Amino acid sequence: MTVIHESIKDDTAAKMKARDVSVYYGDKKAIDDVSIDISPDYVTAFIGPSGCGKSTYLRCFNRMNDTIPIARVTGRIELDGENILDDTMDVVQLRARVGMVFQKPNPFPKSIYENIAYGPKIHGLGDKKADLDVIVERSLTRAGLWEEVKDRLEDSGTALSGGQQQRLCIARAIAVDPEVILMDEPASALDPIATAKIEELIDDLSGRYAIVIVTHSMQQAARVSQRTAFFHLGKMIEYGPTSDIFTNPIEQRTQDYITGRYG
Amino acid sequence: MSPIILILIAIGLGLAGWLAGRAKAWSFQKASPQARPVARPIYHAWYVAIWIVVPVLAFIMLWSVVAPQLVTQSVLASDAAASLPSFGFERESWLAEARAAAYGNAPGVFNGGAEALVEPYREAISRYSTIGYVLTFLIAFGGGAWSFLRVRPDFHARTKVERAVMIVLLIASLVAILTTFGIFASLVFETVRFFGMVSPIDFLFGTFWGPDPMSNPASPEGDRYGAIPLFWGTIFIGAIIAMIVAIPLGLMSAIYLTQYADPRLRAWVKPALEILAGVPTVVYGYFAALTVAPAIRDAAVAVGISNASTESALAAGVVMGVMIIPFVSSMADDSIAAVPGSMRDGSYAIGATKSETITRVLFPAALPGIVAGVMLAVSRAIGETMIVVMAASTAANLSANPLERMTTVTVQIVKMLTGEGSFDHPATLSAFALGFVLFLVTLVLNFVALRVVKRFREAYD
Repeated sequence: MTVIHESIKDDTAAKMKARDVSVYYGDKKAIDDVSIDISPDYVTAFIGPSGCGKSTYLRCFNRMNDTIPIARVTGRIELDGENILDDTMDVVQLRARVGMVFQKPNPFPKSIYENIAYGPKIHGLGDKKADLDVIVERSLTRAGLWEEVKDRLEDSGTALSGGQQQRLCIARAIAVDPEVILMDEPASALDPIATAKIEELIDDLSGRYAIVIVTHSMQQAARVSQRTAFFHLGKMIEYGPTSDIFTNPIEQRTQDYITGRYG
Repeated sequence: MSPIILILIAIGLGLAGWLAGRAKAWSFQKASPQARPVARPIYHAWYVAIWIVVPVLAFIMLWSVVAPQLVTQSVLASDAAASLPSFGFERESWLAEARAAAYGNAPGVFNGGAEALVEPYREAISRYSTIGYVLTFLIAFGGGAWSFLRVRPDFHARTKVERAVMIVLLIASLVAILTTFGIFASLVFETVRFFGMVSPIDFLFGTFWGPDPMSNPASPEGDRYGAIPLFWGTIFIGAIIAMIVAIPLGLMSAIYLTQYADPRLRAWVKPALEILAGVPTVVYGYFAALTVAPAIRDAAVAVGISNASTESALAAGVVMGVMIIPFVSSMADDSIAAVPGSMRDGSYAIGATKSETITRVLFPAALPGIVAGVMLAVSRAIGETMIVVMAASTAANLSANPLERMTTVTVQIVKMLTGEGSFDHPATLSAFALGFVLFLVTLVLNFVALRVVKRFREAYD
């Protein structure tokens, strides 16, 4: 079972609580009874070798696994006390509250402005152009992109550089005013400078949003997160404060992974 | 000397050259196994074979045109030709009879006078056929020897062969382009003749269409050649009624198949839909004439339109629309399916519903393919003939009422070309003018559509 460090057992202010969540792809069990709390007070990082299930687990929190026909999720994930895995849960509302940023930047083939305004429009957050203008500027500013693109909002989002595209995607997620932002290896397709900008941005955004980041870079987890969960073969092996996980892991497998013995 | 035998000879010689070239290249390799050859033996083999086959084939093509002329010339130069009648038509027929008899295609000659020409023909034919064989072998040998001598360890046979492949591909693509130009040129030629008899103003802006192929060609009645009713019929049936049916149904079925359908269902429905495209249009014509048109008439009568006819633009247009659903849906299906899954995920992740994702993200990204499909469908509908002949009549009629008879440009082209008029009568020539206009309109449509797509496309890569 999961080893949870003593120091975080009393955390109470959880935004999302996952309990005994398992994911099956057909008959294959990809995630085995994993429980965790997500809070806006800190950035949570999921680390582990490729294929350990960390991305699959992340996608449970906004039910993106629904788009995979053979995937089945069991257990319970609460968002402010409400079980989001329940059939009665409206995934459209859920995803407005729990945003997501993907591994590869995926801006829509629309203008920068339209990329940001898309979410607010479909959720009816701003009916007037003036409202949308405010939302677009605020989102881009928070994503640290406003100064770079304010003079070319009508250019295509796909014309930006990779790092800018990824910040555009973060701005797009912010625009619908989510409470939680899930990031699935958001910097793995970017160069070191763009990566540094994304990491800085994550730092700025934490506190306002509950952020969960999946990463295969242990340095990145160490730099941006305050809580780290180590996954291996579909199980969560160890969960604790990031500093403890990296300096003083309890489990031998965690120790082996962070010292580079496998993975 | 039949070309088939010559071609077989060319292939046989080519094979011999192929084997010889390869053997020579092999011997180089055996002689110095350490040396790294610049081309593998197979390329030397192909090099020699190409140098034999291509010149020989070119010669055969040339010879099959030139040889009969030479034969005829030598016959005319013979003593027997002196007895030929001087009248052109008779002279030709004597020659043709003698030739047929000489080749063994006819048992004998009909005109006794031609009898004397048979023997000179036989002689000339056998002489030139021998010359043809000798030249074939000479050319094959020349090409083979020249290329065989160039086969050396340091000879870059591979680049030469690759170049030959490129030229073959280039010629293949030129055939299609040149055909288009040829079609265009022939249309222009006949159209100019037509406009020499009927004024373009009458043709393009007149509202009455009723050419009379039996009238005096020297004084064509320009007011009978007004093509507006045909253009209108074509647009009304092919581009309006058919598209009102085909575009929504085609797009919706594409969206259902790519976004909603179970993969197992899709595996059945998609091929079934594509079978629709393979049904001969005559069969659609039956369906339109025997089932749809009477049903529309009955429905019209039932709601109180007493003068509805059994042949209607609506019947033809609706059936045509059904016929082209597969064109629209299959192209739209492919281009929607080609939009990266990450676009869809990105939209879902913001909380967009399935239909919002489709209309606002997938659809704009797939637009170029969708427009291409619609363009293809429009061209197909405008060019369609059989359904209109069977369900919407062949009589021109300028009307906005879809329940009336109507006809299209293509139907009139067929009617004019299969009529009894001679080829220099304006009624027959009008078919070319109609074809020319059709050609120009589709060209412009395609051009405009390409520009529109370029302007509005949302490129995702």
